[in-house]
Amino acid sequence: MNTRTGHIGAFPLEAMKNNSVRRIVLAGIAVIALMTYVGGKVQIMRLGYQINDLEKKKQELERSNRALQIEASSLSTPARIEEIAVKRLGMVRPPKENIVVVKRRSAATGTAPADRVQRPDDRVPNSR
Amino acid sequence: MERQRSILVVLVLAGLGFLAVALRLVHLQVIERGDLTRRAERQQEQVLRLEPKRGTIYDRRGRELAVSLDTESVYGVPSEVDDPRSLATRLARVLSQNPAELQRKLASERQFVWISRKADPESAEKAREMNPDAIGLKFEARRFYPKKTLAGTLLGFTNVDNKGIEGVELLFDRELRGEEGWIVAEKDAKGRTVFPGGHGLQYRLPQPGKDLYLTIDEVIQHIAEKELDRGIAEHRARGGVCIVMDPRTGEILALSARSTVRGGQVFNPNSPQRHRPEEWRNRAVTDSFEPGSIFKAITAAAALEERVAHPQERFDCSAGNIRVADRVIKDSHRNGVLTFTDVISQSSNVGTIKIAQRLGKARLAKYIDAFGFGKKTGVDLPGEIAGMVKDHRLWSGVSLASISIGQEIGVTPIQMAAAYSVIANGGELRRPTIVSEIRGPNLSQENRSPEVPAGRVISPETSATLRKILQKVVDSGTGQKAKPAGYTAAGKTGTAQKIDQRTGTYSRDDYVTSFAGFVPAAAPKLVIVVMVDSPVGEAWGSSVAAPVFRAVAEQSLTYLQVPPDDVGGRMLLVAR
Repeated sequence: MNTRTGHIGAFPLEAMKNNSVRRIVLAGIAVIALMTYVGGKVQIMRLGYQINDLEKKKQELERSNRALQIEASSLSTPARIEEIAVKRLGMVRPPKENIVVVKRRSAATGTAPADRVQRPDDRVPNSR
Repeated sequence: MERQRSILVVLVLAGLGFLAVALRLVHLQVIERGDLTRRAERQQEQVLRLEPKRGTIYDRRGRELAVSLDTESVYGVPSEVDDPRSLATRLARVLSQNPAELQRKLASERQFVWISRKADPESAEKAREMNPDAIGLKFEARRFYPKKTLAGTLLGFTNVDNKGIEGVELLFDRELRGEEGWIVAEKDAKGRTVFPGGHGLQYRLPQPGKDLYLTIDEVIQHIAEKELDRGIAEHRARGGVCIVMDPRTGEILALSARSTVRGGQVFNPNSPQRHRPEEWRNRAVTDSFEPGSIFKAITAAAALEERVAHPQERFDCSAGNIRVADRVIKDSHRNGVLTFTDVISQSSNVGTIKIAQRLGKARLAKYIDAFGFGKKTGVDLPGEIAGMVKDHRLWSGVSLASISIGQEIGVTPIQMAAAYSVIANGGELRRPTIVSEIRGPNLSQENRSPEVPAGRVISPETSATLRKILQKVVDSGTGQKAKPAGYTAAGKTGTAQKIDQRTGTYSRDDYVTSFAGFVPAAAPKLVIVVMVDSPVGEAWGSSVAAPVFRAVAEQSLTYLQVPPDDVGGRMLLVAR
């Protein structure tokens, strides 16, 4: 006949110890999970703010880029360019005697064609 | 017993009370539910309008002429303002506004008031910092014309709500404006806007406007404006018009209209409020004038086409005047016997009237109509008028003679440009165009030119003959000052007396001087019409308008790299 030996009274104490450890572990896991969750949330929020700030900055830069483009456009008005050319750079229109008209010799006849030959498209340019 | 009755009465009264409350609840929750729900929504919800971006206007080479730029607008929330007077005073200083008006707005019962629309960014930010709870900023697109006064009367302008008010901005407002969007937002107890998150957001995004590509060339426009301004200033004139057109397509390359009436300034569409309406009125299409001698080209075209006269045929103009009905019409100087060609090149009234008499009323009227006078050309500009052409059945005894030399008829400068294009392009009338293309945001494209010709007016042979006659006007006739260096040119001078408003008769010292023509004469690339109104001093088309024509033609042809076709004189022809 087999019999059990040992301290019967030690069983409940050990069980209680084990339970506490388990609770502490579980609580630790819960705290870590909570901290991870909260940390993640905080990180998301922080990134959200960062995105928001960067979006705003991007919009501002786009606006200022557009404003600069328009400023460049205003600075390139023909009136201003002409004024700088004439007044600041001292440019003048070439006098008649300095103009040389060059006509290409026609390949077939060897004579100069009557009309212009430089621009294949005869219409007023409309290029973009 | 008495006590039981009292309890019963109290219970009944309480019961009736509960019943009344229950009935009221049923009334509110069931019967008036719809109405009350709508009222609640009205109080809690607001529809915010989302402004679309207005399309850009470009010249023919894609250079920006009108653009939209985001700028800050300052608004206020009056319920958040504790001391409207103090805030209004400080805001007025920063935003240069009337403090009393601002105080009235900030003290109002409204939830939202505009303080300053489209303010400059620095002032707007300063205003917001004064009270961030009560003052806010909203981005709105502001129309901006980077080339300032260039083509101002043609482009027109928009109002503070970006709606087209004048010019191309008005006529193409629907295309440029785009479609407004909206978003439904909720208001909190303080009236601040709260956007519902998730799927509850109701909105429609705004559709941006389409872009316009004009036929105008920025550089030629500048040349036309500069030379017209110079001509007006030199002769102390009241205004003028200069149109540059491609006769083969009807495309307008430049259109400048100036008015200096009562010290008028050149119109700048960036600040329309500083100008008077006559300064932004486009006189090229809204005003008619008696053309005078430039109209003789039309009489000549009709005579040649109807073969009532030959270019070498002689007309006796030696008397220097001609009696028509009860009126004697004179030449400016006495001529001898002139050929048909010389009648036009010397601008003889007597000779032209003799030619017109061979044509007769009906045939001259037919060509006036065919050249497009007396009806709108259909150019893409608002406010165009048809001019004044009387039905030939109502002409008086002197009308045939008067009209043949450009009197008793009202034409617009744009009609004259279209008519000279007929002579230049071989005989076809084309609709003048300003807009060549409309481009949508998804690159959809609508081509508007070149147009199908509106109709043949004269034969290519008549057109070629007339071109030679008009070239003689510039080579040896009245239009010699219109001759551009290095190029042949053809055209006609005009000096028309204006009607004196006080006497109702032709004035002796108030004229409209003009020159209409084309370059180069043999293969015209450009038609140019110059009209200068009321010049002071020597007021002749040959001395006032012709030099403007010459300057515009010379510079425009060089810019377009059209090789000179008149290489005489000291110019050198090199063949390679």
